[in-house]
Amino acid sequence: MALLEGLRLSKRFGGVTALSEVSFTVEEGTIVGLIGPNGAGKTTLFNLVAGALKPDSGRVVFRGEDITGLSPNIVCRHGIARTFQVTRPFGTMTCLENVAVGVINSPRSESDGNWRATALHYLETVGVEDLAFTEARHLNVVQKKKLEIARALATRPKILMLDEVLGGLNSQEIVQAVDFIRRLRDELHLTVFWIEHVMGAIMKAAEKVIVLDQGQHLMEGTPEQVVADSRVIHAYLGE
Amino acid sequence: MTDIRFYLILFAAAGLFSLLPLGLGDYHLHVMIVSLYYLMMASSWNLLAGYTGQVSFAHAAFAGIGAYTSGILAVEFGVNPWAGVIIGTAAASLLGLGVGVLCLRMGGIYLSLTTLGFSEILRIVITNEYDITRGTMGLQVPGLVEEYSKAAYFYIMLGAAMITLIVLYKLIYSNKGLCFRAVQNDERAAASLGVDVVKVRVLAFTVSSALAGLAGGLYGHYLHLITPEIPSLDQQFLVLSMTVIGGMGSFLGPVIGAFSLEILSEYIRAYGEYHVLVFGLIALVVARFAPNGLMGLAASRLPGGPAPAVTVPSTGKS
Repeated sequence: MALLEGLRLSKRFGGVTALSEVSFTVEEGTIVGLIGPNGAGKTTLFNLVAGALKPDSGRVVFRGEDITGLSPNIVCRHGIARTFQVTRPFGTMTCLENVAVGVINSPRSESDGNWRATALHYLETVGVEDLAFTEARHLNVVQKKKLEIARALATRPKILMLDEVLGGLNSQEIVQAVDFIRRLRDELHLTVFWIEHVMGAIMKAAEKVIVLDQGQHLMEGTPEQVVADSRVIHAYLGE
Repeated sequence: MTDIRFYLILFAAAGLFSLLPLGLGDYHLHVMIVSLYYLMMASSWNLLAGYTGQVSFAHAAFAGIGAYTSGILAVEFGVNPWAGVIIGTAAASLLGLGVGVLCLRMGGIYLSLTTLGFSEILRIVITNEYDITRGTMGLQVPGLVEEYSKAAYFYIMLGAAMITLIVLYKLIYSNKGLCFRAVQNDERAAASLGVDVVKVRVLAFTVSSALAGLAGGLYGHYLHLITPEIPSLDQQFLVLSMTVIGGMGSFLGPVIGAFSLEILSEYIRAYGEYHVLVFGLIALVVARFAPNGLMGLAASRLPGGPAPAVTVPSTGKS
């Protein structure tokens, strides 16, 4: 069953068409990869879903409900959490407080006013609990990405949207990260919508891959189908 | 800081302060009363600038709203000054709500400019509506107590300062306070985690304006004369300097800044209005070299304070 659905979404910035009539579905419980060359419109698509941008036309449907154009905080309350391509930690707050913001604003929060234990739990989930009392601005890039995932999880989402979380990792770490995301999905009954440039990771993790190119939906299919498709190869490598 | 510790420190400090009228003469008591006024102003401005990142230049203007509302009600309609102060506080909070909503879509410099404009409009209106406000001559208003005594006003301001600090503490160290700081750090990230950014910004603006209105109302009745000096930009920059020098974004910073700068300004009073200039320069230097103000300096020096930010490679100096 489709948990998240985009229907003919379009977005223009001035004269530039960032997305043109893109439709897609993300099925409940799956990991769906979103790939495409730079400037294909992947992050724009995320922003339309998350409410950070309003589409010029088209609709976003989540669990059968039209959430098009709602503000980001309302979208979050519906159960959609995201990370940012360039991390956006609350620099002057500790990691624990960073995660707490997600905990206390979630309508599904289990914390009953005591956010500390809950926030710590999510820091442990991503493995940065030893940084709980460190201000987030002192973290390195990888730690910041982990913190963003913890923060997003703390809102208790139904779907987690990851925007290039593997940047800066070596190949060993990428393998671990892929295992980690899969485990998250299984243990927390999540659905994952995942933009990634590291193709190997997406090919290993995703059940379905959607390919965007120049703001258009190029194709979608299993990872095997996608890598074998001549249009995809063409989009990435040119003539 | 736990709740119990905060209240212990607050009431202990207030207890010590309440002994001051026994030992201080009228002049020194006056300095203390003015310091308490600035404590309220700087602390409530800090809620706005230090905790939600909205650098408003209308804070002194809201104090003026509180002072003039209460003063005019007393002079024109014979309203009891205490009731006037409460109405003045409400008026300031309502206008704060209005300006807050107006500035919603603005960030950074645009919000600052809009509030600067609001402040200037208010000054022009007050100066020109001579019939009601007595312009630059100042509006003579009745006092809050039957028999004038510095000690009485000192206790009134002390009580109001405590109320201000308790309100701010409750807000800053609650879940709302976490959201405030999240919004200050990064609005987009805060919104993505479910924080209603609009509500946070308007709430901070309203509460902060109300507290300024309260401070201004009481201060006007203490002075018995309300002049356009109260809502002036001079005062605004003084409050700004106190907050920045004391430590913007820390709870105690503005308290320390208010007392140290007010007391210091008494010593350099001979140089007239130049002291505002001096404070401005100090604030600039502090903002550049010690962005967390005196509080930040203290925290990095004290053994119990938060560890110095980064793990800087040792350079041989300690």
